[in-house]
Amino acid sequence: METATATVSPARAFIGVSEVWVPEGDRLVHAAGEYGALRAFEEASIRTSFGYGEGLPGKAWAEARPVVLKGFDGSYFKRTEAAKEAGLTSAVALPVFAGEVLKAVLVVLCGDDDTTIGAIEVWAERDGLLLLDDGYYGAAKHFEWVSQHTHFPKGQGLPGGVWAAQTPMLFRDLGSGYRFIRSESAGAAGLTTGLGLPVPVPGEQTYIATLLSARGTPIARRFEIWDAREARMGKDGGAMLIDGICEREGPLWSEDNPRRAQIWQGPIGQVLGSGLPQVISGGQIAAGYSSMVALPIHRGEEIAHIVAWYV
Amino acid sequence: MQKLVVIGAGMASGRMLEHLFEAAPGAWDVTLFNAEPRGNYNRIMLSPVLSGERSYEEIVTHDAAWYESHGVTCRFGERVVGIDRARKEVIGENGTVAYDKLVIATGSEPFMIPLPGRDLDGVIAYRDLEDTNRMIEAAAPGARAVVIGGGLLGLEAAAGMRLRGMEVTVVHLMGHLMERQLDPAAGYLLRRALVDRGIEVLCSANSKEILGENGKVRALMLDDGTELPCDLLVMAVGIRPAATLGREAGLAVGRGIQVDAQMRSSDPDVLSLGECVEFEGQLFGLVAPLYDQAKVAAATLLGEEAVFTPREVSTKLKVTGCDLFSAGDFAEGPGREDIVFRDPARGVYKRLVLEENRVIGAVLYGDVADGNWFYGLIKDGTDVSDMRETLIFGPAFQGGAPADPMAAVAALPADAEICGCNGVCKGAIVAAIQNGASTLDAIKATTKASASCGNCAGLVEQVLAVTLGDDFVAPSARPMCACTDHPHEDVRRLIKAKEIKSMPQAMQELGWKTPNGCHSCRPALNYYLIADWPLDYKDDPQSRFVNERNHANIQKDGTYSVMPRMWGGMTTPDELLAIAAAAKKYNATVKVTGGQRIDLLGIKKEDLPYIWADLNAAGMVSGHGYTKGLRTVKTCVGTDWCRFGTQDSTGLGIKLEKRLWGSWTPHKFKLAVTGCPRNCAEATCKDLGVVCVDSGYEIGVGGAAGMELKETEPLAKVATEQEVIDITVAFLQLYRESANYLDRPYKWIAKTGGLDWIRAQVVDDLENRAALIARFDISQSIYQKDPWAERATPEYQRAWAPLADLTQEAAE
Repeated sequence: METATATVSPARAFIGVSEVWVPEGDRLVHAAGEYGALRAFEEASIRTSFGYGEGLPGKAWAEARPVVLKGFDGSYFKRTEAAKEAGLTSAVALPVFAGEVLKAVLVVLCGDDDTTIGAIEVWAERDGLLLLDDGYYGAAKHFEWVSQHTHFPKGQGLPGGVWAAQTPMLFRDLGSGYRFIRSESAGAAGLTTGLGLPVPVPGEQTYIATLLSARGTPIARRFEIWDAREARMGKDGGAMLIDGICEREGPLWSEDNPRRAQIWQGPIGQVLGSGLPQVISGGQIAAGYSSMVALPIHRGEEIAHIVAWYV
Repeated sequence: MQKLVVIGAGMASGRMLEHLFEAAPGAWDVTLFNAEPRGNYNRIMLSPVLSGERSYEEIVTHDAAWYESHGVTCRFGERVVGIDRARKEVIGENGTVAYDKLVIATGSEPFMIPLPGRDLDGVIAYRDLEDTNRMIEAAAPGARAVVIGGGLLGLEAAAGMRLRGMEVTVVHLMGHLMERQLDPAAGYLLRRALVDRGIEVLCSANSKEILGENGKVRALMLDDGTELPCDLLVMAVGIRPAATLGREAGLAVGRGIQVDAQMRSSDPDVLSLGECVEFEGQLFGLVAPLYDQAKVAAATLLGEEAVFTPREVSTKLKVTGCDLFSAGDFAEGPGREDIVFRDPARGVYKRLVLEENRVIGAVLYGDVADGNWFYGLIKDGTDVSDMRETLIFGPAFQGGAPADPMAAVAALPADAEICGCNGVCKGAIVAAIQNGASTLDAIKATTKASASCGNCAGLVEQVLAVTLGDDFVAPSARPMCACTDHPHEDVRRLIKAKEIKSMPQAMQELGWKTPNGCHSCRPALNYYLIADWPLDYKDDPQSRFVNERNHANIQKDGTYSVMPRMWGGMTTPDELLAIAAAAKKYNATVKVTGGQRIDLLGIKKEDLPYIWADLNAAGMVSGHGYTKGLRTVKTCVGTDWCRFGTQDSTGLGIKLEKRLWGSWTPHKFKLAVTGCPRNCAEATCKDLGVVCVDSGYEIGVGGAAGMELKETEPLAKVATEQEVIDITVAFLQLYRESANYLDRPYKWIAKTGGLDWIRAQVVDDLENRAALIARFDISQSIYQKDPWAERATPEYQRAWAPLADLTQEAAE
C-alpha cells in the first residue's frame, strides 16, 4: 500500500490554471487566479468578463450547474486562442451558490497530453442514481470509459457517499490497497486520493464533483476539509479541520484536538468571511506549498464546508 | 534497570508507555507482547479505514521507529501462554521473559452470539485490522453483508461496507438503534440517515440461525423465518474482557481482572488496565477512561500517588454526515425532567435530562455544537436552575426563539399532498397564494383544497402563514395536547403527506415538545399510524389504554370482564355450555349486555389467558367489548322468525360483523340491523344502523345513545345486501381515515359540515367507494385476527401470573 507520507517527487500538476470569477452588476469579472508561468493567458483572462450565459463561467451561472468543457475549438469558450497558446485544452467550471444567489464561479483549466493522469468529474442524479454528467480525465482513458459506465446509488462509493452525507469526503488509496468501487481501473490509472464534494445549485438537482488525484501528475499534494456548520461550530462560528492529508505533513486530522480557523483569519477564514472561493499563490501557504484553492460549499445560504487543495 | 513486561499493545498500554517514557526515560527495560502482528494503532479509527476515509498508516500510533527509540523489545504476533507469578515470568510462545512488574492489557474479545452456523466461513466479528481487511476484501459491488448489532461498531461497519459498494442490512434486536446511547427519537433520526445511505435497517429483529452452503455463510435467518442473503456476516453485539490469562494466573477475576484505584491486581506486582479490567464492578469500553487508567498505571509504576476515578463518557459515531452526541443517563425516572428541542426542517433533536436542577444526560442529533458544553455540565454537576429556560439553546444563547410550530409545514416539499380529498399539493396552494389568494376561502375557490371534508383547513392556513408571513393571521386551533402545537386534523394530514410511519418519526417530524409524548397523544398517534399505514406500522401496545393492552375491560375492583363474540347476537347451545363452564370455572358473574352479548365479570388478570383458551377451544373469539374498534352488530330475528320482518336482518348483521370485526376505529363503532321500521334492534341510535324495508335497506349514520342522544341521519337507500355491505365498509373506512381520535361518528360528521361530503365519497362516487373498500381490506389483512388466540399461550400465562401471592394473612 502506498503511504501518505512518501517522499515528494517532482511532478507536473494536473491543473494548469485555477481562477475565480465573481458577479459584478450583470457580468462575471475576474477576482483571483493562479496561472503559474502562463502569463499571457493570465493577462488575457484579467481583461475578460462574462455576461450571463457567456463563455464557460457565464454558462455555469446561467445553467446553474457545474460544466465540463473538453476541446475549446468551435465552442462557447471565449479565450480559445490564449488557451491554445498556453497549452490548455479543457476546463471545468464549478458555480458557488449561496441559496439562490451566485457568489462566484471557480474555473480550473487543464492541458491535454498523453501523460497527465487524474480526473475531475461531475456526477448528476437521475432516477435515484448518480450518473456521470461529464468529466476530464487527461490520459486516463480507460478509467474514463469505466466511469461512463458506472452509476452510484446513495451511500456507495465516493460520489454516492458524498450525496448521502451531504458532506465533502476524502478517500485514500483509491487504486491500491483500497477497494474503491472503480479501484481496478483507478489503480491501473495510478489514482491515489479522491476528494468528493457536493455542488449545491438552486432547485432540486443534485451534483457531486470529484477530484481524483494521481501521484505522478497530482491535482494537489494536500487536501483539507473544513466543517463550518453552526450545528458543529455553534454560534461562535469559525471552521474545524475534519479531514486532511498532506504529502509533506502526513495526516492532518486530529480526533482530540482538531485545528480551527476563525473568520477572516488566514485563507480559510477569508472564505468564511467573504463566502467566496480563494485562489492564493506565493507568500505564506501551509507546508510551503506554492498555491492553494479554497472552495466554500453552502447549505442554503450559509457556508457548511470548505474544501481546500494545495500544490 | 527494572524489567517491565506488558501484555497487549493496545491503546491503553500504549498511552501508559508514553507517560512512562516521558516521566522516566530509560528507567525501564520494556518487553511488549502483542497477539496481533503489529504494534499500537488507534483502534477506534478502524471504521474510517474500513470506509476508505483513512488509511491504516494514518492510524498507527506507535511505529517501529518509536518502539526502537524507546528500547522496547517487541514480541508482536506472539501469544502469551501463561504467567508464572511465583517465578515472576511471562511465558510466550517463543520463550519466557522475567519481570519485576507486569502489566496485563489484553483488551476485550468480541461476543459471538451462539447461533447455529456461527463457525461458517464468512462469519466474523469487528474488532481488529484483520476483521477490517476481511470486510474490505469481501467488498465488491453487489456483494451482500449482514451486520448483527445496531450499536456503535455495527453501524460504523455497515456504513463503511456500504461506502465500499456492498448491499448492507443491519439486524438489531432492540426497538431502536444504539439504545444504550440514544433514546427512540434520536434513534429514529439515525435510522433515517442510514436508510438514506441505502442501508437496510431491521429493528426488533431476532436472529435465529446462520445458514451456510459448502461451509460458507449464505444467509441469516430471523426467528420469523425471513432469510437475509449475505456473503459476509458481521457480528457486532458487544465485547467482554479478555481476562483468561489473569484468571489462569490465579489473579482475582470477576467479569474482568479486578484492580484497585492504582490499577493493581490482586498481585501488587501485576497491574492491569484497559478493557480487560473490572474496577468496582464496572467494565470499560470507551477510550476516555482507558486513558485515565493509563495515566494512573504509569504513576503507580513510578511509585507516585494517583487514583483512578471513572467518569461520565460521551459517545460519537464515526459515520460521515451523522452528527450525534450522547452522554450521561437519559432514562426516564421519577424526579427527572426533560427539556426537548426539535427542528423538523433541519433534522435536529436535542434532549436534556435534569434531576435536582442538574443535567444528568444529554442526547443531541443533527446539531452537536453544544455537546461538549452539556458534557461539562454533566461532569461538573453544575446547578442549572438559573439558566433552565434557555439551557437547551446552549452557551451562546442570544434570545433564541422556541421551536417553530410552522417548521413541519415549511419543511414539506412542493409535491406533498395537503388536501387528500381533492388531491391538492402544497406547491399548488403556494402557487395560488402567489397568484393572489390570501384567505382560506380564496384557496378553496381556486384550488379546492379543504373544500370537501375540511380536515386540512388548518394545514392550508399554515401554508398561507408560511408563504405570506405577517400578512396572514391564522385562526388559533386547539392542539392535540401539551406535547404539540398541532391539532388532530393537522397531525392526520401530515402523517399522510410526509409518509410518517413510526411514532418517533411522527414526534420528530412534527416537532413534538416532549421526548416520548403523553397518555393523550400516544394512543391517538398509534391509531393514526395503524389506520394510515397498516402494512408498515407496527402496533405499539404501550401506546394503548389498559383495556386494549389487556384485551379485556378492567372493572372497579381490578378484575376484568370477558365477552366472547356472538355474531349478530346469535349463539348456540354448545357455545352457551362453554360460556357456562367458563363462568363456573373462573367464578364469573354473568350479565347479558345491551349489545346482545354475554359478559363474564370478575375475572382475575392472571386467569385471562386461561379463560380465553377455554373459549377459543369452543370456537369463540374476542368480542372486542373493550376497544376503540368495531364492537357489536345488534340484530332482530328478521324474516326467519318475525311476522313483520321484511329482510334477513340477522343474516345481514352476521355478514357485516364477520366483515368488520377486528378493525380499529377512532372511537368505538356500533351497528345494528333491524328487520322492519318497528326497529326492535334499535338501529336508529347506532353509529351505523340499517333498517330493512320492503323495497330494500335504509342506511343511517351518526346516531348516539350515550351522554348524547341522537337519531341517525339517512345516508343512503339501497336495494341489495351487497350495497349495504359495501357502503358500510366504505363509510367505516372513511371514518377511520379522517376522523379525530376519540370522535364518535356523529361528532366527525358534524365537523365535516354534514353528510353531503361523506355521501359523495361512499355512495355517489363508486370508484372512490371501491378504493375505500380496498384500503379497508388491506388493513383487515393485518388486523382481523383474534387477540385471544394470540395470547392464550403458555408465555402469556406465565407473564400475566402475579409476581407474588399477597393474599395470605399477615400473621402467617
